[in-house]
Amino acid sequence: MATQPTIRIRDLTKEFGTFSALSGISLDINPSEVVCIIGPSGSGKSTLLRCTSFLEEYTSGEVEIEGRLLGYRRTASGLVRESEQNIDAVRRNVGMVFQHFNLWPHMTVLGNVTLGLRLTKHVPRAKAQEQGRRALAKVGLENFSDRYPSQLSGGQQQRVGIARALAMEPHVILFDEPTSALDPQLVGEVLDTMKQLAKEGITMVVVTHEMGFAAQVADRVVFMDGGKIIEQGPPAKLFNDPQSPRLQEFLDTWKSRNMLFQADGRSPGTAEEGARP
Amino acid sequence: MIQFFDLWVQYAPLMLAGLATTAWICALAAMLGVVAGLALACLDSVAFAPLRWAVRAYIEIMRGLPILIFLFVLYYGGPSVGLRLNAETVGVFGLGFYAAAYFAEIFRSGFQSIPKGQIEAARMAGLSGPQIIRHVKLPQMLVLITPPMINQIIILVKESAVLSIITVAELTKNTTQFVNETYAVIQPYVAAAVLYWLLVEAVAQLGKFVERRVRF
Amino acid sequence: MATFALVLDNLPIMLWGAAMTVLVAGVAIILGMPLGLILCFGVVSPKPWVSRISRIYQSVWRGTPILVQLLIIYYLLPLIGINVPSILAAILALTLNTVAFQAEIFRGGLLAISPGQLEAARMVGIRRWAARYHILMPQIFRLVIPSLVNETISILKNSSLVSVIAVTELMRVSQQIVATTYRPFEIYIAAGIIYIVINLLLSLAGRSAERHLEQGI
Repeated sequence: MATQPTIRIRDLTKEFGTFSALSGISLDINPSEVVCIIGPSGSGKSTLLRCTSFLEEYTSGEVEIEGRLLGYRRTASGLVRESEQNIDAVRRNVGMVFQHFNLWPHMTVLGNVTLGLRLTKHVPRAKAQEQGRRALAKVGLENFSDRYPSQLSGGQQQRVGIARALAMEPHVILFDEPTSALDPQLVGEVLDTMKQLAKEGITMVVVTHEMGFAAQVADRVVFMDGGKIIEQGPPAKLFNDPQSPRLQEFLDTWKSRNMLFQADGRSPGTAEEGARP
Repeated sequence: MIQFFDLWVQYAPLMLAGLATTAWICALAAMLGVVAGLALACLDSVAFAPLRWAVRAYIEIMRGLPILIFLFVLYYGGPSVGLRLNAETVGVFGLGFYAAAYFAEIFRSGFQSIPKGQIEAARMAGLSGPQIIRHVKLPQMLVLITPPMINQIIILVKESAVLSIITVAELTKNTTQFVNETYAVIQPYVAAAVLYWLLVEAVAQLGKFVERRVRF
Repeated sequence: MATFALVLDNLPIMLWGAAMTVLVAGVAIILGMPLGLILCFGVVSPKPWVSRISRIYQSVWRGTPILVQLLIIYYLLPLIGINVPSILAAILALTLNTVAFQAEIFRGGLLAISPGQLEAARMVGIRRWAARYHILMPQIFRLVIPSLVNETISILKNSSLVSVIAVTELMRVSQQIVATTYRPFEIYIAAGIIYIVINLLLSLAGRSAERHLEQGI
């Protein structure tokens, strides 16, 4: 028997006015799978992730989380917008990590990590703090629980963002360009944390520009361009034997830029990992 | 029901006369306030420190003082120091000099908003001092200060209702006369609110027009 | 010298008036905060009718003179069968007015908070009102303290208008003293100084509150 996919996306479209950001995306994310979504800016990667979490309403198609339709309800006359409460219920096992961290600046690190537990799972404070500390330990920040976000480096802030998602014990975590807002020297620590999570078997969908990470960690890489999935497959195949000209072009651009970096001697953590596994 | 509207028809001349008085007093006061405010802002940027302190003190005093007290000092207190002005004149000068403190602050923030680098760049491009003011500072400043200036004029219009207390026959004063003569409450005040709203809206529209003109 | 004696003689009663001024304005400002916050959430509500009604309320109260509002409430309440002392009418009018202005101040604070913070809250399942309470409110207050101090000063100054409905606050007390002493110049200047001192203290308090909260982060 085939296991049920954690996320099942069918014919997803998203239009902003007359511009279609996504046209006809179908994608399954299976339990324990790490899927990296790559592609040029404006290709719809982030929009896909935001529709998958229903932070953005999609125009048509379906997103199912563990078999339950997200955002809408099926009725005889078609799909009807679901109530906020039910959306939250379907989304409860989905975590998200944001490009700009989106930490709550007025709360301590531990406060950030435990607020969801306390308010939505009604875990008592002491127990929530214990769970929060465990999540912080997983990202290597157990000693930072009483700091405020503004006292942390960008890399540390993003790791708090990851811990905040982890604390809710989600079945899948969506990463929306988690390292794009970071200084190059801070990218490594965040990627290392994510690698660790991947090893532990957490289901992950990662929108990223970090080809090295995708090559090393992903079970599957999805290449998007112009709101469509152009090509997907295991990283070795996708990076070494790209089929479509658009992916070839994308990889060439990336490689030439990367070589420049290396020649510069200011190679970021990701570049030294190389494009090929 | 007919009577309800009859009162409006009957008192329309009185209310419109009040509106006209409010309008011209506010127009004069706004002009006075803008000119005096600009003067204060310029004095605030001179090198002579005591002058700057005096300007600061003036601004702080006006910002902490209720307009009603200011008007009372001028109107009721004025004669005891030999200053005899009629109520309308007190209205124009009172509102104008009161608003001047606020306009001065707006001009000051406008002057400060132009980055030094731009002035340096203009100087390096060979522009003279007045040319810099005319071509670099003023166009940018106008865009920035027009919305708060309009906002301040709207505040001035609303504050002018206070002039009714010192017997100026403006809109609020005539409204209370309307109330006292008819014992009606709803019709007079609804009319007053609508007329004030129209005046405020007119100022806001004027502001939008000016904003479009000064935009680059 | 005679001036000084005159003011000194009347100072105690003027300070009583000032206490009433602070009371009326203070109660209005404090009542206005939760109501202003609710109105602010009304204005930004995704429900069109909630947002529209909130905006209409705001534009009516922000678009007409506070003196006219005060007179309407003072004369209208008895007409609809509510007889309250003039001090309550005064507090009601000032509160309804400041609610509209405070809502706008809070909206400004709201705009300064990145929408991403609310998305993060939604992704850990926090409901809208809980997010407003735990995430937006603590930050809004920090952001709007300067504007809130300005609004408090504005209400304190405008509270001088409630003298027209016979509330014996500082302005009214001063008028009464003038009526018996015929010394308007000295008395009104003295009253003005009291207002200015109160407002200066308010700005100082506001500035120190700002510093304290900045250290908290």
